[in-house]
Amino acid sequence: MIPLSFETIVYVGAIGLVVIGALGLVLCRHLFRMVLALVLAESGANLLLVLSGYRGGAIAPIIGFGTPGAPMVDPIPQVLVLTAIVIGVGVQALAVAVLVRVYRAYGTLDMVDLRNRMELEIAGAAGIAAPSSAQEPAGGRPLPPVPAFRRAGAVGRES
Amino acid sequence: MSQLVLPVVLPLLAAFLLQPLSRVSGLAGRALGPLTLVLCAWITARLWLDFGGAPFSVAIGGFIPPLGIVFYADHLAFLFALAVPLFALLFWPELGDKGGGPGTDPNREARRDALVLLLVAATTGLALSGDLFNIYVFYELAAVASFGLVSLTGTARAQVATLRYLLISAFGSVLALVGISILYLQTGTLNLAQLSQLAPYTLQGPLGLAAFALMVIGFGVKAELFPLNTWVPEVYATAPARVAALLAGLVSKLAVLVVVRLLVLVFQQPEASQLLLVLGVLGVVTGELAAWRARDFPRMIAFSSIGQLGIVFIAFSIGGDIGLLAGIAVALHHLLVKSAFFGLAARWNGSLEGLAGAGRRAPLAAGLFVLFALSLIGVPPLLGFWTKILVLVGLAQGGAPLQLFALAAVLLATAVEANYLFRVALRLYGRADRPPAPPARWDLGAAAVLGVVLIGVSLAISPAADHLRQVARQAGDVALYVDTVFPKTLAGRD
Repeated sequence: MIPLSFETIVYVGAIGLVVIGALGLVLCRHLFRMVLALVLAESGANLLLVLSGYRGGAIAPIIGFGTPGAPMVDPIPQVLVLTAIVIGVGVQALAVAVLVRVYRAYGTLDMVDLRNRMELEIAGAAGIAAPSSAQEPAGGRPLPPVPAFRRAGAVGRES
Repeated sequence: MSQLVLPVVLPLLAAFLLQPLSRVSGLAGRALGPLTLVLCAWITARLWLDFGGAPFSVAIGGFIPPLGIVFYADHLAFLFALAVPLFALLFWPELGDKGGGPGTDPNREARRDALVLLLVAATTGLALSGDLFNIYVFYELAAVASFGLVSLTGTARAQVATLRYLLISAFGSVLALVGISILYLQTGTLNLAQLSQLAPYTLQGPLGLAAFALMVIGFGVKAELFPLNTWVPEVYATAPARVAALLAGLVSKLAVLVVVRLLVLVFQQPEASQLLLVLGVLGVVTGELAAWRARDFPRMIAFSSIGQLGIVFIAFSIGGDIGLLAGIAVALHHLLVKSAFFGLAARWNGSLEGLAGAGRRAPLAAGLFVLFALSLIGVPPLLGFWTKILVLVGLAQGGAPLQLFALAAVLLATAVEANYLFRVALRLYGRADRPPAPPARWDLGAAAVLGVVLIGVSLAISPAADHLRQVARQAGDVALYVDTVFPKTLAGRD
């Protein structure tokens, strides 16, 4: 049995945040909730990164702070996590900006709906029939139709 | 030697100078990007010619590794660092475009160019960096630049594709970050050379394997690796064709390079290779089958690219010099072929049926398509045959059941590939009332250049293979990497 120390709880919490975020990304249909799930997962990862430099009872790694010679926590993960937080905030801001544009274009933030409409538009722009969706029963054959020149009989028998 | 940072720094500088400059003078703004790329390519090529075969490292800012960040340059790094500006130049958004038309906004153009330059800087950094966290930062920079580029067309569907790509990619980065945290927790360093020294003692257990799995899946997002690659078809179908060419050709290869460095230097346990093998096989099978079902040209080549990158990962999973050689060869071949395909797809962006008769209106483009298709399938005299045979021989020599299964999967994928590519080729030379527009002159030129390179390498396959073998041997030499980053005397410090 692992003793339930402070560190263990924080570790479990950090990994739990990542797992909650991952589940949210997979299970949610609403795009804004997916962005929030991403935020959760990112904070979990950042927490884990900070923890990798943690030492029990140590002080902040600033020279001239606290008693000289006392143990300090590892400063490198703290520097790394600052970078990671900044990157994360940037990406999240970008996500929200694109989210607003998507909402203005379609008036919905439902992922499944949006994805179907995007597939329809891609198919429409390419000039092909809409792809079979997961909601509709599969019908027809997956092969594209016979090329026009074969139907016209310009080429002899199919080899 | 410290000039090695210039190919990363110059595009970054140019990217931020671009917007003010384009306000002062439109012509200068338009010329700055290509000039920077030419300069970067020239610097990299000269360094590569000068260095004479022994890899070297540069400590950024004079801080000695492992505390400081280090750039590491060997043949492999130079190869990719040189490919980045060259391919970015080939697929530069404005070249061959009738720029300055009534509908174009110079500010918008400057922003787009800045994003491409950021992408170039970040991917060059990925090729050269020898520090894991630095790699993570460059990877994120490349990701953010590519989000902007993908949404460039401004259509609503491109926004949805961008958002989905962004969510998947950001989640991949979270996984990679968790993997990095585990590595730091276990070893206390993120310098690749020091990690490779410590790995045999600290990263052998399941925790090390978990770190590898997280990082492979995380960095594998850009490399179109199996579980997190659902963004690929929609992004390549909605992004501008040249951006798709850069993402599929170049950016995916640099992500592959990151995974390879991790595999070679840090995770040498057999389970890591097996994981890569399984993910690669899944990628090959799903990608090729989806490509076979695809009914429009951009998505067909997008799915096919997933399959091809699966083969790349299978090749690297073989391990040893032969695996590295095969993997680098397949990756370079894919870089040539897929970039050219997406170049052609700029105008041929409709359904496969709509391509009927294109061969009569654009014989050169159709001929190039057939050439690349034959090479991709692996028809003997062409380069693709040699790369595929390397993979197959490597797998057969390995002989483990999983590897034989992978061999069967690659052969099956080849048959499927041949089917759908020939179907397109047949259509191209078919008859139609309304053939599609021929590719733009610049795109056609880019594809032709790549085609000439392909034929040239196919003709000179023997010396090319010798060079590549040297590249692979150097990349696989872990002791050399460590000795270069940590020289015995500090005199080698730059």
